Amino acid sequence: MSDKDDIETPVVTEAAPILEDENCEPAKNSGSLDLSAKPESKSEPVVSTRKRPEFKHSSDLETSEVLPVQASEAAGKEAVSKDVPQTGWGYWGSWGKSLLSSASATVATVGQGISNVIERAETSLGIPSPSDISTEVQYAAGETNAKESENSSPVSGPFGVFSTISTAVQSTGKSVISGGLDALEFIGKKTMDVIAEGDPGFKRTKGLMNRTSTLSQVLREVKEKEELWTSNEVTIETDKKTHYGLLFDEFQGLSHLEALEMLSRESEIKVKSILNSLSGEELETLKLELEQLKEAFSLAEFCEEEEEETKGDEDFTKEITELFSQLHVSSKPEKLARARNTAYEWISTSLAKPLEKKEEGEKQLEAEEAEQISNSSIEDIHAFAIRSLAELTACSIELFHKIAALVLHGRKQEVSAIERSRALSQMTVLLCKELSSLSKEFTTCLTTAGASNSASYIQDAFQLLLPVLEISLIENKTELPEA
Amino acid sequence: MAYAYLFKYIIIGDTGVGKSCLLLQFTDKRFQPVHDLTIGVEFGARMITIDGKQIKLQIWDTAGQESFRSITRSYYRGAAGALLVYDITRRDTFNHLTTWLEDARQHSNSNMVIMLIGNKSDLESRREVKKEEGEAFAREHGLIFMETSAKTASNVEEAFINTAKEIYEKIQEGVFDINNEANGIKIGPQHAATNATHAGSLFLRLAAQTGPLAHSLTLSSCPAET
Repeated sequence: MSDKDDIETPVVTEAAPILEDENCEPAKNSGSLDLSAKPESKSEPVVSTRKRPEFKHSSDLETSEVLPVQASEAAGKEAVSKDVPQTGWGYWGSWGKSLLSSASATVATVGQGISNVIERAETSLGIPSPSDISTEVQYAAGETNAKESENSSPVSGPFGVFSTISTAVQSTGKSVISGGLDALEFIGKKTMDVIAEGDPGFKRTKGLMNRTSTLSQVLREVKEKEELWTSNEVTIETDKKTHYGLLFDEFQGLSHLEALEMLSRESEIKVKSILNSLSGEELETLKLELEQLKEAFSLAEFCEEEEEETKGDEDFTKEITELFSQLHVSSKPEKLARARNTAYEWISTSLAKPLEKKEEGEKQLEAEEAEQISNSSIEDIHAFAIRSLAELTACSIELFHKIAALVLHGRKQEVSAIERSRALSQMTVLLCKELSSLSKEFTTCLTTAGASNSASYIQDAFQLLLPVLEISLIENKTELPEA
Repeated sequence: MAYAYLFKYIIIGDTGVGKSCLLLQFTDKRFQPVHDLTIGVEFGARMITIDGKQIKLQIWDTAGQESFRSITRSYYRGAAGALLVYDITRRDTFNHLTTWLEDARQHSNSNMVIMLIGNKSDLESRREVKKEEGEAFAREHGLIFMETSAKTASNVEEAFINTAKEIYEKIQEGVFDINNEANGIKIGPQHAATNATHAGSLFLRLAAQTGPLAHSLTLSSCPAET
């Protein structure tokens, strides 16, 4: 118990003074705009284009017993308005069974990454919203309690984020910091800190593919949480425009993900039942083939091609089209390419000016200077950045869903499942990189959290295609029994 | 936007009967005569109001092609409502209804509300299926029925909304377990804590007054129908 305490406590207590300092002097952190700068302390840096780190079963994950205590402590400390209605949170347990599983706890954290973390960082800056926080406590506490009975999971994630942010809120008090630049600088730094310190999702996302819950379900819950926020806390106009989860849903990303999951699950069941029906040599042969398929279905290229530079506009379209053609499915990634190009066009036309201005402001680093920058333009960039990432991610998920449908639909295959696997792996890498470089283009106001989350979604969608290809491999064998 | 409930719908039926056009008319209020074939499933969403409550319809528009059938079946799960569409100018699409219905019943939950839709009612001169035939089929199989035109938008709103009303009614009657996501109903964020206590609603009372004939009454009172 005590060693677990040691691991867990820093999030709640030691983080506080650091955050308070930052809150007092956000404007002086000129370097904080460099979003790739890693917080020196603690956790692994977040590198958006990398393959997500593996899930590790170390002792620091087994902290669930400690949490109820912290939750109640924190609730006592932070809950400014205790009479916040339970609306919205009561149902998490009921039809969000997924949230009770350990897998989803980590997923939820990832899902919260881009929007919630950024928004909470914003909240902690400008308009502290006590009800958000107390609600969050209720959520954290509720989830922990539920978790306790299952005795299975790391809840430090959501809670860590919460405590870090709430501390920031507490210290910021009700003061409203004006000036978009300050805010953006702070958001960048804050978000990095929060993610690195409080979001174990980046370290534990392996749990995503645990089928006890579905990604789309968890994302939907995250989005609904955002809907609740926007309905209750609509204080700033831009709030509504910058909720990644809501936008992702608006672009039908969630639906495509859910549909992809359905196809994936069904294929998985079929594969299992076929494997169960086979025996002897037949079974061994098939197992071997499926093993090869799995190998081709890896994202190994991520690390190798890390240094590759951003390519030109046409290159992406060309590359994705080429990869798509290797899949031999009768569809084209036009929608995705269009969304992507729109984003880049917007950047080249609209982003140039504010960027220059901002650099100036950085050098001078005076509040006045910051105030010269039109607030709305920065907000616009922010909103557009989130929107673009959400749209592009949704398009990518749609693409994967369509690929699944077409692979299952195709009666005869001119291309093997393994070849398709390779093309898909490459496509996943390409898409994640593209999102990463897009988010780099938005560095003024975006954190790497955006790309990281988008990359997570895409990689998860990619994994969902494995059963689909497995069944297509098996069916192809039975239809063309030359082997 | 916050909503009280979210209903999942599926639209099913033969290829070319106008499923995607109905969806587009409902979500975007426009008609697109030439449409790409749907691959697998497409999506649309719209907010409607029933009994003063915001309800979000999440609509899954499935591919009608026979070759996609095994895939589209996967999507049926968890739908609260289905629009089963045929084309009044093509008898074969009407003849296939039984197969569609069996499929739908087999792959979705038994409480799913099914609305039978005879689409392309604007093409009266080319009609091959009488309205009475549609009504008879619906009666026989316990479906709601409407003739629509995705082109002129006639009855399109009503088709989607009446289906939602029926689902809503079933919720109030306790037929649907709203806590079971497999029923295709989700409780919206704003509504979660209060829904259980608000069973006696205006709509329910109205529905009780009109009784089981409520739908046929609604139908026949529609100006577009007469």
